[in-house]
Amino acid sequence: MGADGMDLLKGTLDVLVLKALTWGPRHGYAVARWIEDATRGALQVEEGALYHALHRLERKGWLASAWGASETNRRAKYYTLTLDGRAQLAAQTTTWTRYAEAVFAALRAADPTVA
Amino acid sequence: MSAGRPDADDREDRAGPGLPAGVRRIVRLAARRTPIEAEVDAEIAFHLEMRAAELVAYGWAPEDARAEAQRRFGDVPHWRSAMQAVDRDHAARQRRLDWVADLRQDVRYALRALLRAPRFTLLAVLTLALGIGANAAVFGVVKSVLLDALPYAHADRLVRIYARWESDPASGRQSLSPGVAADLAARLRTTTGAAAFYFSIVDVTWLAPMGPRVLSGAVVEGRLFATLGTRAALGRTLAPSDAGQPTVLLGDAAWRREFAADPNVVGRTLRVSGTEHEIVGVLPPGFVGPQGDADLWFALDLAPALGDPATSRDQHWLGVAARLAPGADHAAAQRELDRLGAALAREHPGTDRGRTLHVVPLRDAMVGETRAPLLVLLASAGLVLVITCANLAGALLSRAIARRQEFAVRVALGARRGRLVRQLLTESTLLALVGGAVGLLLATLALAALRALALPALPPYADLSLDLGAVAVTLLVALGTGLAFGLAPALAMGAQRPQATLRDEGRGASGGRRAPLLRGALVAAQLALSLSLLVGAGLLGRDLWRMANAPLGVQADGLLTGRVVVGAPAYPTPAASARLYERLEAGVAALPGVLAVATTTQLPSRTMSSNVLTIDGVTLPGAAPTFIPYQAVSDAYFRTMGIALVAGRTFGPVDTPDGVPAIVVNRTMARRYWPGGDALGARLRVSPHTAERWGVIVGIVDDVRLDPTASAAEPMAYASSRQDVMFNGRDLIVRTAGDPLTLVRPVERVLATLDPTVPLRGATPLRTIVRERLSGRRLPVLLMTGFGALALALTGVGVYAMFANLAAARERELGVRIALGAGRLAVARLVLRQGATWMALGLLGGVLGAALVTRALRARLGEAVAADPLVFAGAGAVLIVGAALALLGPVRRATRVEPITVLR
Repeated sequence: MGADGMDLLKGTLDVLVLKALTWGPRHGYAVARWIEDATRGALQVEEGALYHALHRLERKGWLASAWGASETNRRAKYYTLTLDGRAQLAAQTTTWTRYAEAVFAALRAADPTVA
Repeated sequence: MSAGRPDADDREDRAGPGLPAGVRRIVRLAARRTPIEAEVDAEIAFHLEMRAAELVAYGWAPEDARAEAQRRFGDVPHWRSAMQAVDRDHAARQRRLDWVADLRQDVRYALRALLRAPRFTLLAVLTLALGIGANAAVFGVVKSVLLDALPYAHADRLVRIYARWESDPASGRQSLSPGVAADLAARLRTTTGAAAFYFSIVDVTWLAPMGPRVLSGAVVEGRLFATLGTRAALGRTLAPSDAGQPTVLLGDAAWRREFAADPNVVGRTLRVSGTEHEIVGVLPPGFVGPQGDADLWFALDLAPALGDPATSRDQHWLGVAARLAPGADHAAAQRELDRLGAALAREHPGTDRGRTLHVVPLRDAMVGETRAPLLVLLASAGLVLVITCANLAGALLSRAIARRQEFAVRVALGARRGRLVRQLLTESTLLALVGGAVGLLLATLALAALRALALPALPPYADLSLDLGAVAVTLLVALGTGLAFGLAPALAMGAQRPQATLRDEGRGASGGRRAPLLRGALVAAQLALSLSLLVGAGLLGRDLWRMANAPLGVQADGLLTGRVVVGAPAYPTPAASARLYERLEAGVAALPGVLAVATTTQLPSRTMSSNVLTIDGVTLPGAAPTFIPYQAVSDAYFRTMGIALVAGRTFGPVDTPDGVPAIVVNRTMARRYWPGGDALGARLRVSPHTAERWGVIVGIVDDVRLDPTASAAEPMAYASSRQDVMFNGRDLIVRTAGDPLTLVRPVERVLATLDPTVPLRGATPLRTIVRERLSGRRLPVLLMTGFGALALALTGVGVYAMFANLAAARERELGVRIALGAGRLAVARLVLRQGATWMALGLLGGVLGAALVTRALRARLGEAVAADPLVFAGAGAVLIVGAALALLGPVRRATRVEPITVLR
């Protein structure tokens, strides 16, 4: 897949891309900017991998794309979340939250002899 | 564009709120034309520029900003090709989805269109189902009879050898004598393994533990099984060494029926015809012999017959099957048989002169007389299918014309022509498939009916079932039909100019000039085909009627027949069995309800045994001997059968065993050989007991024709069973006051009191036997009449549709005429004249077709199929009345056109 950014856990990029599109159609650059802003620049994303993810998600039917005019009035490819994509995002959000809480709980545990 | 693809819109709707639909459509159209590579490049370029511009805004130098943007993106060529790969894959999948979606859309649309015209749809499906069903059923029969493999190894190399006598050139499939059979086996080089068998299946009595059982038996030379390439399912088949041995081979059906499929049956013994026979094996399922199916197979021993010069070449009762030698073909075998026949005529001038030998493929030999009627049926079914297609083509054509407006609108809105053609093809294929499915159902029912009706008339190996091959062919026919009659309107569509159609909206419905022409030609063709079929059915029906009603020469009603066979060792002498028959006659005569009783050595039939005729002082014409069918009868025979005495006397006590052999001949024989009327008192030899001394004609009786398919009575001779006692089986004939079948049990009881080991076989009313002999002829008549009726109904529908269409197309014009004062009659004449031309053409073609059918029938079925003007007129009248009924409705409607409603 080649989607692993140095600081990115596998699969994280996909769910971030889906999340970036929940507020409506965005082009790839806007998605990249949203991820930078939302993670306060903490996650280093190789942008080529981001675009690859966009195309893969479109093939899966979770995104749809269309060419439109950008805010600077240039031709840009806009992505939108499909109904399937929305459902996928909801499911992955749950999974990620539970995963993160489990890891977080484990890392904060005082007693290592938990059954 | 969107008219054809709401599914695409559905997909976009799932994309949720976003760009307005119109914008989206425009950008999608634009995107369609851009190749994937350009799109990916543009997307990457846009990103890099945006990123660089942002950095410049933060104060970066443009050069550095571009480099930084590239760095953050990563390996550009790598990601570009990765994105392109994903997109290409995506596009391919999308195309497949679109295709399926289009198809689903087409089917859904076709279903909706068909349901919107339920009368058209029902008619089309039923018409198709009838046409296809008839074809599938007949093809099922033809396939099982003519196409399916015979149950033998390499069956196409198997042949049967027949004799043809100069004295009887019409029947080219005569049996052979033991001498000839032995010569064929020993001298033929083009065939191997020539094996003889008794020409027919015989009844044998098995003394089963539960009482005597009548089973069917075949008598064959042991090597027949090796020649056919048949192996036993259990034990072994018969071998040449079985000749003269008390061994028996079981058929599969008998093994299951009589021995409950006992796997240990080999080695057991059966008491058959008074002798213990050892079971050596069981034949595989599906095996039938060249002469038919049998329960028990006995080894034929020709040695005794060959050793007796009186029987070796004089009696003809054997069939011979052989396998073509490697490298030899039928022509070579026939050439060798021609030479052998000539050689045998020189070697045995007394017995083998005037005869030729013929090789026939074994399949043809087994198909027998079934082939011609089957091909006639196949042709009829094919004609019905052609009529079906013509009908549907016509209906679809006018439907397409009626929908021109709709299609013009769709073309104007941007639907591609190919898409419309595809739509039409989907519609007709759907119709064809549904019609085909219903047709298969009908065919299954028809075959079940045929099985009951036709099995006696078909060769023994035929197994009437709708097998996979027949189903496949039917589906192909259905699809072909759908494509064929879907194509005509589709092509007509292609030639259409939408603007013109939309502009002259009023005249649009008349459908141009070509369509009615095509339509009329189709109806004319239907009429012609129907008339041909009706005439064919009429001719066959008349033939059958004539045969069924020809005088038989006997009073068949109220007669019961049944066969009694006895022999050694319980009845060692002919006199002993004769005594049993006498006591049986006396016992049955005493039963209440019995008017008269007689016995005969055989019932008259086309295959009864014959003897060589010799007349004192007369040289008979022809080189070959003259054979006369002959039976020995008891005194009461003529009275019981109701055969009238023409001159002289019948048999009585004066005909003592030692007296002068008395002979009674029928009227035809007396007239043919004694045209001067001096038959009475003439001396002749015609039966075994006249071999030593001359017999004398004592009486002349009326002709008997118990085979109603024979066109004329044949000469026949009778002897008294008081004098000729050679035969060991007799047919019992009982004239009853009421229903013959009520006497079966009482007669069986009488027989059981005389000898409980002897069964009464095949007790049947004589009327039933006569009817069964006609069943082979009745089948084609019934079926062809059915096809004729079917064709008539279909043609009626076609005529109705044509006139309805004519009237509808000219409705506006007719309204104008009526408004201008034209009478109803004048309007009717107008519509009629337009259609009548086609009908007249159809009838004319029909007369031609009927003449062809008559010729074909005469060539295939022979004899009495005559070009009967009555049948022609009758069929024509039926067709005209049918067509008139069909056009009545539309023409009436045309005359009732209300000018106001049409002109408004």
